[in-house]
Amino acid sequence: MADRLERLLNLTATLLDTRRPLTLDELAERVEPRYPDDLVARRRQFERDKETLRELGIPIRVETVDGFGADQAYRIHADDYYLPDLGLTPPERAALHVAVTAVRLDGDAGREGLAKLGGLEGSGARATLAEVPVTPALAALFDAVRRRATVEFSYRDEDRTLDPFGVVLRFGHWYVVGHDRDRDAPRAFRIDRIDGDPVIGAAGAFTPPADVDPGEYVRADPMTYGEDQPVRAEVLVDAPRAGWVVEQLGEEAVIERRDDGAVVVALDVVNRAAFRTWVLELLDHAEVLGPADLRAEMIAWLDALAVSTGAPNSTRSKQ
Amino acid sequence: MSPRPQVAPRLRRVLALVPWILAHPGVTVTELAERFEVSEAELERDLELLPMCGLPPYTADRLIDVSIIDGEVEIRLAEYFERPLRLTPAEGIALLAAGRALLGVPGSDTDGPLATALERLEEALGARGGLAVDVGGSNHVDVLQDAAAAHEQVEIGYYSFARDEMSTRVIDPWRVFHAFGAWYVAAWCHRAEAERLFRVDRIRDLRLTGDHFDPASRPEDGGPGLVYSPSDDDPRVTLWLGPEAAWVVESHPIESVEPLRGGAHRIVMAISEPAWLERLLLTLGPDARVEGPPAFSELAAGAAARLRARYGIS
Repeated sequence: MADRLERLLNLTATLLDTRRPLTLDELAERVEPRYPDDLVARRRQFERDKETLRELGIPIRVETVDGFGADQAYRIHADDYYLPDLGLTPPERAALHVAVTAVRLDGDAGREGLAKLGGLEGSGARATLAEVPVTPALAALFDAVRRRATVEFSYRDEDRTLDPFGVVLRFGHWYVVGHDRDRDAPRAFRIDRIDGDPVIGAAGAFTPPADVDPGEYVRADPMTYGEDQPVRAEVLVDAPRAGWVVEQLGEEAVIERRDDGAVVVALDVVNRAAFRTWVLELLDHAEVLGPADLRAEMIAWLDALAVSTGAPNSTRSKQ
Repeated sequence: MSPRPQVAPRLRRVLALVPWILAHPGVTVTELAERFEVSEAELERDLELLPMCGLPPYTADRLIDVSIIDGEVEIRLAEYFERPLRLTPAEGIALLAAGRALLGVPGSDTDGPLATALERLEEALGARGGLAVDVGGSNHVDVLQDAAAAHEQVEIGYYSFARDEMSTRVIDPWRVFHAFGAWYVAAWCHRAEAERLFRVDRIRDLRLTGDHFDPASRPEDGGPGLVYSPSDDDPRVTLWLGPEAAWVVESHPIESVEPLRGGAHRIVMAISEPAWLERLLLTLGPDARVEGPPAFSELAAGAAARLRARYGIS
């Protein structure tokens, strides 16, 4: 095993140091410990090494060189490999150490990243302060943001083409936000609801607007995010839940305060289903006052519930 | 013999270790071991490997030169490893997400070393402004954190979502944390005389009592976690869920699930409070039905009738 580690280090050094790409034959002549003489075993062993280096994020380029026919040649470009000097100070490294220990994410990526920045400085944090979820497609989409690459994915059975400006964690979920090319409008998508792997296009495909703030793309509340015809809803909330609702929507949503502590709030609804859920979760502490069609929708929903419960095949009538 | 370590983690470590030593000649083995989370013995094994590595044709002037004198390490002839490997996207986002989350916690120093470190990191990743983390500045988070640090009891007016009722209780705040988009305080509740987890955004008002609790009473593991664990006494309910309600299967603890035709499911789940089930049935509407026991079969209709009364329908 030490032999293999030795060869992986030597292979990396050789590919970094070389001025021209090297073919497998050339590498086999140079790199120690030697690759097998048998060509099939040699290729198999080299592919395995290459895969291990790729998994670590070591960017091996495959190039074709004149005079070598169909043979491929390999090298590592310095610009692909070397981390620029961030100029981090010891207090900055210590602060990142605290962040990585206080905020728990799935996996070791944070600590592995810290090692590249100079390892653990200071004592870190003792207890977890926050847990942050990690969604499989997150790293790929963040890389697309970084490289300004257009992404394509399927979202709730619809194909979307997005110029991604950022990724945002809010309400406990990750969103990718940007310019939806088909709809020619700003959009946010919950990353864990994207079907399958997003397809990442070529780098440098767009220029994000100056001073873009991805956080603004994920609006203050999920129910104000949707595709329904916008409507301004007014909701009466009783005293016991009024404080919570005002905290959630902000003071500016309050259009009336009543003597008994109840409030009337106004909010822009573009997602009627999410709005209905929000009102119903307040149980009988809330009432949709208007507009009339939104109120009628709520009443119809409750009417259906009042008659359709019970066993699926029950035929008993109510009322 | 100890089990052989895997190649990849060791290679990863060596590629981070060597640039650090090159930039800090004379760094001690002890410091390196702490910094890179490895035992001194293992670190020495890494260092012993290096003099066998280098460039072809592996003559003395092409091999990495390592010297350890009085525990101080120096490396020469490894210029090609003088910078660490770039961060992978996963590493970059893990560091930025953790840093931004911590910076978003109420009371954190937004001009301090963490903020400047994150700016440098974003700059290097070419991702300036490309990542935002909002942990929500819930009203009482910083007061509760101070109280937990000072072991001070607090009195809270708390809205129980599951029971739909307000109550006033004195708690010993053990730990304040953020998870799944909300802030929580794990505490000893003097009213329930039990460990309880409270959602900070459901605390209506909060008063410091001036009394202190014994920090030794705080459990090692930080107190109750987030998962609702049903007790044997909790009633079980059988629900039919339509295809639109399939997400319930994923997001709630379920005792059993039976897939039905057309994307529907039949599930059995434990119910701690009827108000909780009432709310679930009200929001799911035609996508859920109670199949048993009979005690629950009129729950949604009853709740709907109560709400209809608000709208002036009897």
